[in-house]
Amino acid sequence: MRSSFPLSVSVGLVALLSLSACGFSGEAGKSSQAADLDQRIVVDNFRAPVADWALESDAAYILSLSGCLETLTRYDETQGKIVPSLATEWKQVSDLEWDFTLREGVKFQDGAALDAKAVVTSLQNVLDAEVPARAFSPKVVKAVKAIDDHTVRVTTPTESPLVPYRLASVNTGVLSPAAFKGDTVDPFGHCTGPFTPVSEKPKQSLTLDRNEDYWGGQVKLAGAEIRFITDGATRTAQVQTGEADVSLSIPVSGLAALESDSKVKVLKADSPRTATLYMNNGKAPFDDVEFRKAVRSALDLDALAASVYEGAAIPASGPFAPSEPWAIEGAQTPKQDVDAAKKLLASAGYTASRPLEIIAIVERAEFADVATVIQENLKAVGVPVKIQTKEYAAVEPDLLSGNYDMVLSQRNRLIDIADPIGFLTADYTCDGTYNLSHFCNAEYDKKIAQAATTADAEARYKLYAEAGQILQDQAVNVWLVNEQAIDAVRTDLQAHVQDPLARYVLRAETAKSGS
Amino acid sequence: MMLFLARRTAALVVAVLLASFVVFLIPYVTPGDPVRKIIRSRVAGDAIDDSAVQALSAQLGLQDPLWTQYLRWLGRFASGDMGLSYTSRTPVADQVLPALWVTLSLVVMTLAVAALIAVILGIAAALNEGRAADKAITAVSQAFIAMPEYWLAPMLVLVFALELSVLPSAGWEGPTSAVLPVAVLALRPASHFTSAVREGMLDALGAEHVTAARGRGLSYFHTVRKHVIPNGLLPLTTLAAVWFAGLLGGSVIIEVIFAIPGMGRLLFDGVLNSDIPLAQGAVVVVVGLAVLLTTAADLVHGLLNPQVRLRHA
Repeated sequence: MRSSFPLSVSVGLVALLSLSACGFSGEAGKSSQAADLDQRIVVDNFRAPVADWALESDAAYILSLSGCLETLTRYDETQGKIVPSLATEWKQVSDLEWDFTLREGVKFQDGAALDAKAVVTSLQNVLDAEVPARAFSPKVVKAVKAIDDHTVRVTTPTESPLVPYRLASVNTGVLSPAAFKGDTVDPFGHCTGPFTPVSEKPKQSLTLDRNEDYWGGQVKLAGAEIRFITDGATRTAQVQTGEADVSLSIPVSGLAALESDSKVKVLKADSPRTATLYMNNGKAPFDDVEFRKAVRSALDLDALAASVYEGAAIPASGPFAPSEPWAIEGAQTPKQDVDAAKKLLASAGYTASRPLEIIAIVERAEFADVATVIQENLKAVGVPVKIQTKEYAAVEPDLLSGNYDMVLSQRNRLIDIADPIGFLTADYTCDGTYNLSHFCNAEYDKKIAQAATTADAEARYKLYAEAGQILQDQAVNVWLVNEQAIDAVRTDLQAHVQDPLARYVLRAETAKSGS
Repeated sequence: MMLFLARRTAALVVAVLLASFVVFLIPYVTPGDPVRKIIRSRVAGDAIDDSAVQALSAQLGLQDPLWTQYLRWLGRFASGDMGLSYTSRTPVADQVLPALWVTLSLVVMTLAVAALIAVILGIAAALNEGRAADKAITAVSQAFIAMPEYWLAPMLVLVFALELSVLPSAGWEGPTSAVLPVAVLALRPASHFTSAVREGMLDALGAEHVTAARGRGLSYFHTVRKHVIPNGLLPLTTLAAVWFAGLLGGSVIIEVIFAIPGMGRLLFDGVLNSDIPLAQGAVVVVVGLAVLLTTAADLVHGLLNPQVRLRHA
């Protein structure tokens, strides 16, 4: 028994690894079979709702991805613009006011009609939250009121062209008035989406059935189960075994096995996250742009992406991913140039009087390896570096107060709304509330202020690109790699469209072929 | 016996108070602002408005002195109210009780499997003392301890879920979903139990009353069944109670890997998110149950073993 049990485990592991190494070649992802309207699917999500079902919390993401919660507007990534959802049109009626016209004939899953009063009740609930959502808080929205049965007016404290974007945030999803009882929110049967939640196993799963009266047409799945699986390896295993039809946020370690599985299709998309080496611009030697440029020239981003990220991330060319509509035109990934780095260090008058410190936050396991690569790159140009691994919460006060040298982190540029204004303001303006780089540049601030009042999206994106160019020219940070959103789906799943932010997963058109 | 129970009741109260106070202090002695941790757990992202921090701090009474906050919780708890979770704003009891039920099921199954393995292997080892079977069992038993759970769990998933497709890889949906987590959790207690049973059996085999029974002409099989096994299994009761207590809050890794919504995961989330009422509620229940169980085990041990009863008397 002593030898046979471990041996069987080893044999199983070796067999699996061999299969992965050989690689089953088959083409994954396209099913020629017709959709079976009786099918139900399982989606493995990486988090469970923490704050019950409060709309201002992350729970709104789960209600949205599960096809329950819908918003007045919606951001269409393929078109790169805001499109109608529960509202069919909107217009700015004064500097501070926007009117949204509601879609007619929409009913909540409890049978109540979607009207302006119901929308106001729902949005007001988010505004009144003790911890409001950044996308829709009293700081950015002054009031919401019903003008008539089908018109909702949103008033802002200052002129803002981004109100339609705010109403695409999942936090502004609309629930029936019956969903709000006392301090709790009950989404069961109170959404407008293609799926209605019918039961929940706390911290475990949410089960949904088809909404037979969905305003958007026939729903092609009978139902679905969203499972909350925090462990990435488990999510990977479940889509391989067929226990899950969709697994979101696959860890890099699981990619090889999935890519060689003929019954699984791996989906990758640029995510709005860039792993970044933040440099404290307010502290020597990082207060010298020549020194910061030297650090950038010393780093080999191609090697970093290939080694630590195993090819699952793309070397960054600046603060934005190349696929984003506000990307800097013609931006190239900085190439490692040791000689140039040494010249810049000499020009900056740098002397290695003390080892510089890189903080690698432990919440991102790969940052310890990233820090080691950077340490080696900088050592090659004569900059000694020591690495500290710490919890984010432990270092946050030092980061905000400017008591650090370098820190590895990543931010979601679109965490609030489908526009980077919040990120670019908080992280890089002189008064930014999350300006870890302690960067301050009047020209940059002017661009962002101008963008904040520019209604035309194209013009605004151009301003973002120009602001990004300033960040790049000033070498404020080193943007290391653009991370990718990696999901995996079974090949018999049909009409699945990957959303890098995992806001929309279950849709009316999502289908599965019969077995 | 009454004195024994009175002492244990006092120990229960002290242990619960101590544990709840230690858990209460965790967010304040670990780095970072507890209020920011609470907000971060509710709203993804790092950029948090100071105004939101101040508002929530005031709303939850976190600006009050620590002792005021602790006494406030204690007063509520004494009246049977575990309070509201800071993150979900729902009653703590509503989260603790379902999680406790899940963990109790997991632990009972784990200990039953471990005990079964231990009884079979322990008796076999003792009856074959010094022979190849004894050595093999001891070696296997040691191997159980050497295999870390975070390694063994994925290995079993690879084999039984991915390769053989006979068991689910995760979840808590029915008897089959319990097989792998129970198998992983049972190995370590099984190893300790096996050693205990073996030692207990060997002690019993060498006892004078056993020799006397054999001298009276009782068959070897009958002697072992009547006089050795009952005494040899006695250490299992106390040991099982100790493991029961440990597993109640100590199966975090397994609960995360297998997506089991039990007490370990609840406690982990509570501490991680600075959700003090949730963490306190979970700890108080785990510690309270642990003390109750060890007390019950001592009582059972006393009933089965007259020497123990005599000592307490």
